[in-house]
Amino acid sequence: MNKWLIPAVTAVALLSGCSSVQRGSIPVVDSGTAVSNSERMSANGGFRQTTVKRPVQGQAQAIPQGDTGVVVMVPGGGAAVSTPISSSPIVPGPASGGITSGPYTPSPVESAPVNSGSYSMPSTPSGIPSASSGGGLSADEQLDGPVLALLTTAQQQQAGGDLNGASSSLERAQRVAPREPQVLYRLAQVRMAQGDAPQAEQFARRALTMANGRPDLQANLWEVIAQAREKQGDSAGATLARQKAKVSL
Amino acid sequence: MTRTRSPRTKKKPPSKGLNPWLSWAIKLSLVGLVVLAGFAVYLDAVVQEKFSGKRWTIPAKVYARPLELFVGQKLSKDDFLTELDALGYRREAVSNGPGAAAVNGNTVDLNTRGFQFYEGLEKPQPVRVRFSGDYVAELSATNGSKLSVVRLEPLMIGGIYPKNLEDRILIKLDQVPPYLLETLVAVEDRDYYSHWGVSPKSIARAIWVNTSGGKMTQGGSTLTQQLVKNFYLTSERSLTRKLTEAMMAMLLELHYDKKEILEAYLNEVFVGQDGQRAVHGFGLASQFFFGQPLSELKLHQVALLVGMVKGPSYYNPRRNPERALERRNLVLDVLEQQGVATAEQVEAAKKMPLGVTTRGKLADSSFPGFIDLVKRQLREDYRDEDLTEEGLRIFTSFDPILQMKAEASVNDTFKRLAGRKGSDDVEAAMVVTNPETGEVQAMIGSRQASYAGFNRALDAVRPIGSLIKPAVYLTALEKPSQYTLTSWLSDDPLSVKGANGQVWKPQNYDRRSHGTVFLYQGLAHSYNLSTSRLGLEVGVPNVLKTLGRLGVTREFPAFPSMLLGAGGMTPIEVATMYQTLANGGFNTPMRGIRSVLTAEGEPLKRYPFQIEQRFDPASIYLIQNAMQRVMREGTGSSVYNVLPKTLTLAGKTGTSNDSRDSWFAGFSQDVLAVVWLGRDDNGKTPFTGATGALQVWTSFMRKADPLPLDMPQPDNVVQAWVDSRTGQGSDANCPGAVQMPYIRGSEPPPGAACASETPASGESVMDWVKGWMN
Repeated sequence: MNKWLIPAVTAVALLSGCSSVQRGSIPVVDSGTAVSNSERMSANGGFRQTTVKRPVQGQAQAIPQGDTGVVVMVPGGGAAVSTPISSSPIVPGPASGGITSGPYTPSPVESAPVNSGSYSMPSTPSGIPSASSGGGLSADEQLDGPVLALLTTAQQQQAGGDLNGASSSLERAQRVAPREPQVLYRLAQVRMAQGDAPQAEQFARRALTMANGRPDLQANLWEVIAQAREKQGDSAGATLARQKAKVSL
Repeated sequence: MTRTRSPRTKKKPPSKGLNPWLSWAIKLSLVGLVVLAGFAVYLDAVVQEKFSGKRWTIPAKVYARPLELFVGQKLSKDDFLTELDALGYRREAVSNGPGAAAVNGNTVDLNTRGFQFYEGLEKPQPVRVRFSGDYVAELSATNGSKLSVVRLEPLMIGGIYPKNLEDRILIKLDQVPPYLLETLVAVEDRDYYSHWGVSPKSIARAIWVNTSGGKMTQGGSTLTQQLVKNFYLTSERSLTRKLTEAMMAMLLELHYDKKEILEAYLNEVFVGQDGQRAVHGFGLASQFFFGQPLSELKLHQVALLVGMVKGPSYYNPRRNPERALERRNLVLDVLEQQGVATAEQVEAAKKMPLGVTTRGKLADSSFPGFIDLVKRQLREDYRDEDLTEEGLRIFTSFDPILQMKAEASVNDTFKRLAGRKGSDDVEAAMVVTNPETGEVQAMIGSRQASYAGFNRALDAVRPIGSLIKPAVYLTALEKPSQYTLTSWLSDDPLSVKGANGQVWKPQNYDRRSHGTVFLYQGLAHSYNLSTSRLGLEVGVPNVLKTLGRLGVTREFPAFPSMLLGAGGMTPIEVATMYQTLANGGFNTPMRGIRSVLTAEGEPLKRYPFQIEQRFDPASIYLIQNAMQRVMREGTGSSVYNVLPKTLTLAGKTGTSNDSRDSWFAGFSQDVLAVVWLGRDDNGKTPFTGATGALQVWTSFMRKADPLPLDMPQPDNVVQAWVDSRTGQGSDANCPGAVQMPYIRGSEPPPGAACASETPASGESVMDWVKGWMN
């Protein structure tokens, strides 16, 4: 063995002179994202400072509900309470059975109320105009907890030009609070910024089905629909949507 | 994967004779030297080429959804701990360091590990979670400050492997746990930091130890040689190969520093076999044997892994635990001798069990059904090589907790129904989705859920029976001027002559006619006669159009028998269809994948959430109401023997002819599940939709504990009081008055007051039918 080593070492020694790769490692590039996103956000101050107000403690409108961390207003929910299910008369008649009483869908949700980490519903709608330009939310659309955190992140990503990241964060928010129309509203705005007007309109429509009793938000959503229709060359539809926006307010 | 074979070394010419031939000998050895030098140049190219480029091909890794934590989240402590166990969190008295958790009553303290997601980096952090009931009541940092949302790292649920492939999780030197490098060097190559590729001393020692028959704790090869052997050469055993190995080892040492070679070694070393998958590198070995990231391993685990290098199969801790334990303790002794660890540390480590995970638990890649779905979706966008070589990270919507519950439901139900003759031959498939996001969360392709094979959830095309009925009724309810939930339907026998002269004569399941029924009752009780009549009235082609709008892309012939579900669909197609019903009339393409990152964590592709409104929410509201009545009073009512009445659910049973297929599809607010039971040979089963699939579904819903269905009432829907016998408008105070939803304008005129004088305050009939956003 040792005999072999000698020529081998010699060869190696010879070769070391003409080795092409530098001794040491392959260059490693650490390409992180730009640091500027968050700074830019705080510089123009948008989301957090101008729009977010903590819900006033002790206001009657705060409805704690544990489902998904958000409160969804169910109109007509009160009516359901009055009708007990069952005990429908089964009287022989033309039908083989009577209608079982009780409206099923707007049933009162009796889940355990869990703390107040969820956000609270609109206090009195105030006259503060909605700052739709920056994606800001009007004063009657206050959010809290996880949804606020994720929307803020998305806002920062969008301001930094990372629309995919913003989209992704908003979808995360949508999973956390699937029935919060503001998330879909923001998603619609980002889709618009991404140039996907049809999806923007779809998200706004979906949001509208969840935005009962929230006129400011409805107006904003109709405005998104109007813009999306304009983008798609449907000016008549856009006008119609703008009218709806006015009616909502 | 191709390995460069070492070419045969040229034999040195034999030298004969003495002095006169000396010059010849010198010349010859010079020639030999030149040949050798040429060979060395060649080897050098080989060494550098492979080492400087992409060293390994890495199969794509598939991850489950990361568990999100936030206050108000519905999550039981037990489910949370299941997730932590699957992620390999150590239970400790006090949580210190990433991957540790401490449970104290309703509070769990843990240190998350952090992870690179599409949206950005989730930092590792200490978190306190307090549970109240089945909810997260508090989420805070250890200093008490509130946290709004925290994400755990996602569970790895599998990879995309070609046949016979090496798999590894690449690690960097700074990710190794304490002791690993010292142990490796102490056991495998004590002179590692001083030799230049080969170590004559250790070779000599190895020979001496071998010949003297002593205990062999150290091989003759250096770490560098072992790396060269695994990385460049075949496993052929010959002197020439040994020499080539030595040369290459020296060349490697010449070009690269010790740290880099060591890092490569850590990633290359073979540590075990997982079926057809070869487990390479300590990174994957740590996950494979301990279910933990390498960086978290403790001394006894490090000793076991390093000890296994000598004979991964012989010292396999799962198959040969005694041998593995003996070997580990031997390694620990060496550490004490070498001064790597103190006697106390070694003593404590020796007392530890092997600590390897058992196979078949959550952490193991045993979800073939879902992985299959992911692969199919990926193949639409990537070439096979991209998936098996580039180390992509695939983020999915898979929910391991729901998957385990789905599997348990199938198993439990079959166990419970084992008495039924023929139930042994019945196969099962299941799809679980989140109707609010359109994401697939769990999937079962076979009754043996861990069995990879025919994926019935995606590929079994079976007649859907009455599962089609919501499409028939929805078609009618979209015409509020003609049909409401309380329209009358005749349930009398009928027969239709087809174009080919054949007569279609449907029958009810109980072979009886039910006279005249309310429209919703036809659906709730799944009456075939009234449904057929309704379907013929609205037109079979229109029903099929509705089916298409619900998201079913399959084409069906417009035969009347389609109205009763003669057409075949796969469980995932049924899920797509019901998804649209559950999601307010918005169709969502089923998604299993959220995003893809490169091996370096750079965003590559997103699979965005997309929706499309296909129906007016009002008609969906009505069909949901009728589907709720299926559960309350119809064919699905057995669910409430098990589930609480407060849990509003909607769904539909389905049974094909002679009970060859047993279906149930239904949803709550946040969970949609489709269950199919049937035989692969299409034989008869002992189950109807209600006695078979619904039982699995019910069991699943009980475990999943979903939120009650709660669709906001669209503003063009009104609740009207009607007489439960006649369907005529009635005052709320009248006996037998019930409230029913109607699309505005289609409700019956309000009835007169019966007992009290309260005037009916209903909306005027003249109210315009509000068109939905157009």
